[in-house]
Amino acid sequence: MPKSNLLRRFAKSREFTAIAFIVLLFLGVGLYKPNFLSLQNIMLCLNGSVVYTVAALGIALVIICGEIDVSVGATLGMAAAVSATMIRDGQPWALAIAAALGVGVLVGLVNGLGVAVVGIPSIICTLGVNGIVRGLIYVYSNGKWIENLPFAFKALAQGGVGELTYFYLFALVAMALLHLCLRRTRRGRYLAATGDNVGGAVLLGIPVVATKVISFVACSVFAAIGGLLYVSRVGFVTPIAGNGYEMKVIAACVLGGISLSGGVGSMLGAAVGAAIMASISRVLVFLDFPTDYDNTITGILLITVVVADALLQRRAAEQARRLRLNAKTAARMGGGEKGGERLA
Amino acid sequence: MPKRPRLKEILLRWEVALLVLLALEIVVFGGINPKFLRPRVLFGSVNDFMSICVVSLMVTFVLVTGGMDIQSGAIMGLTSIVVGVVWNDLGVNIWLTCLLGTMVGALCGAISGFFVAYTGVQSMVVTLGGSFLYSGLALAVTKFSATESYKGISGFPKDFTQFAKGRVFDVIPNQLILFLVLIVLAYLLLHRTKYGRRVFLCGINRAAAEYCGINTRQVVMSTYILSGLSASLAGILLTAYLGTAKTDLGKELTLPIITAVVLGGTSNLGGSGGVLGTALAALVVGILRFGLSMAGLNTQYLDIPVGALLVLTVTVRFGLMNPRVSALLRRALGKKTAAERRGSA
Repeated sequence: MPKSNLLRRFAKSREFTAIAFIVLLFLGVGLYKPNFLSLQNIMLCLNGSVVYTVAALGIALVIICGEIDVSVGATLGMAAAVSATMIRDGQPWALAIAAALGVGVLVGLVNGLGVAVVGIPSIICTLGVNGIVRGLIYVYSNGKWIENLPFAFKALAQGGVGELTYFYLFALVAMALLHLCLRRTRRGRYLAATGDNVGGAVLLGIPVVATKVISFVACSVFAAIGGLLYVSRVGFVTPIAGNGYEMKVIAACVLGGISLSGGVGSMLGAAVGAAIMASISRVLVFLDFPTDYDNTITGILLITVVVADALLQRRAAEQARRLRLNAKTAARMGGGEKGGERLA
Repeated sequence: MPKRPRLKEILLRWEVALLVLLALEIVVFGGINPKFLRPRVLFGSVNDFMSICVVSLMVTFVLVTGGMDIQSGAIMGLTSIVVGVVWNDLGVNIWLTCLLGTMVGALCGAISGFFVAYTGVQSMVVTLGGSFLYSGLALAVTKFSATESYKGISGFPKDFTQFAKGRVFDVIPNQLILFLVLIVLAYLLLHRTKYGRRVFLCGINRAAAEYCGINTRQVVMSTYILSGLSASLAGILLTAYLGTAKTDLGKELTLPIITAVVLGGTSNLGGSGGVLGTALAALVVGILRFGLSMAGLNTQYLDIPVGALLVLTVTVRFGLMNPRVSALLRRALGKKTAAERRGSA
């Protein structure tokens, strides 16, 4: 059975096919412009992707759980607006951070209860919440920019170990912890189980409702943390801060091999996807293209990766089926290999 | 077996609720601002949200097959800028240009639809990619124009803009009449033709449809072409109405479009829904936005009531469908639940 074993492993490491594809693509750019692969440039790309990365880690939890959250951008903007106002007005930072996290928990609870308890399809529920929160940002900030933040808070984004900023280090640690949680703890495994097969999860006695609510809350909290990092990195908050981030972050997850139908994907995939999303404009600069083509490339990349992945997977599934059918007919007909071939 | 009229009653109930909601809105907004009730203003309001109406009619088809379409806004922008650039920089006749624009929209829909139908990738992912791709292409198209992209292209011929701004008898806008025509067409297509039955069957059970000899891939792909066509039509109408071709015309319309479709009673899980509900819901959403802004609410805040309306109605609908809640309700009304009836029989 070595062949089917190999196939199974191939299917299992599905998220890595997407990652490998993109790593190859970037290596290609590196061949054309060797500077692209310099340590400094790679670090710039990674550090620049930190907001996407943190938000992608959060939304990956929801997607692995088989749902979707399109309110991430609004949550990020709201947390950014709330914390920036407090920091500007001289409140203690801890309080501002707590307020941002509070925003995350609140939005996450609304989403989670709406989806898991009431039973609203997640895209509809979070789309509505997205509109509400986006409007509330205008109400809260009166449509004005929040500027003049203390220098010390903005300086946080610059500090780091060597080339790596503290923020990205934090993202890496969060990724590692979440990965361990998803793979090694019981509650973490519940997440993928729920996403893979809700009915089966219910029958196994997995608390599906609680799992979903927790994943939504975690997602919004990570979006809120992303908002905090955004404030420190950018230094001001406009009413449209985080607009469209939800789509970019979902795209990042898909690029990283996380399946939107749930149950498949890893935190590493989310982080790699986010780094790619954030560095596409840099790639364009290196290839002497105007950065206006950012969205075009993102779209083409997204569709290519997903379609290639779907085709590969279908082929793997068909090969596995053919193998099974051959074995079955061979057993029935006493080694009649031809019959198997014809049936397949 | 329920009798025919009763079944009809149940089907009609949601549309009736929407009608009541619509009437309520008109009464309330009329009370706040009497100007709102003038026929010129009330009918004219359709001009402001026509794009939502047109697109949501056809996105209904996509949702009925169990898909999701979040690329309409991008297609609107792409069509608008293609129309602008081809007319302005190539000097092609404006009506010919419009035809080209609808072909672009249909092509965009066909590309996404092909990937959804033939590779089995989730529609949400493909149309997400599509929305990136088409909005990016719209920016790329502006590179061919002498005009700076952020300014937009204006100065269209009068009969082109007049088509979108004009009114019949000086009261009823052309766009409202066009909307009514489109409703009838979409209704006939979805509810009265063989094709429409196939669309529904694809959403209810695609495997069964396949076994019935229906080419489900073609059917699914065709719904995306329809939705792309409608998006390009909306893009052209909006361009004519505003008198400017811009790349980001439909950027903010994803939320209202999906809201209108879902509010109209179409489930995003496929297999149920209808054109009439969508049309009414689009009016409910549009009038809500228009009335609130006439009542003096800042347009930036309009997403709050629209989002709240979406979440609330869907909560009520899905809450009622929840067996535990409906059992409680029935008991409160003194009726036996289906399970109890079965138990006693």
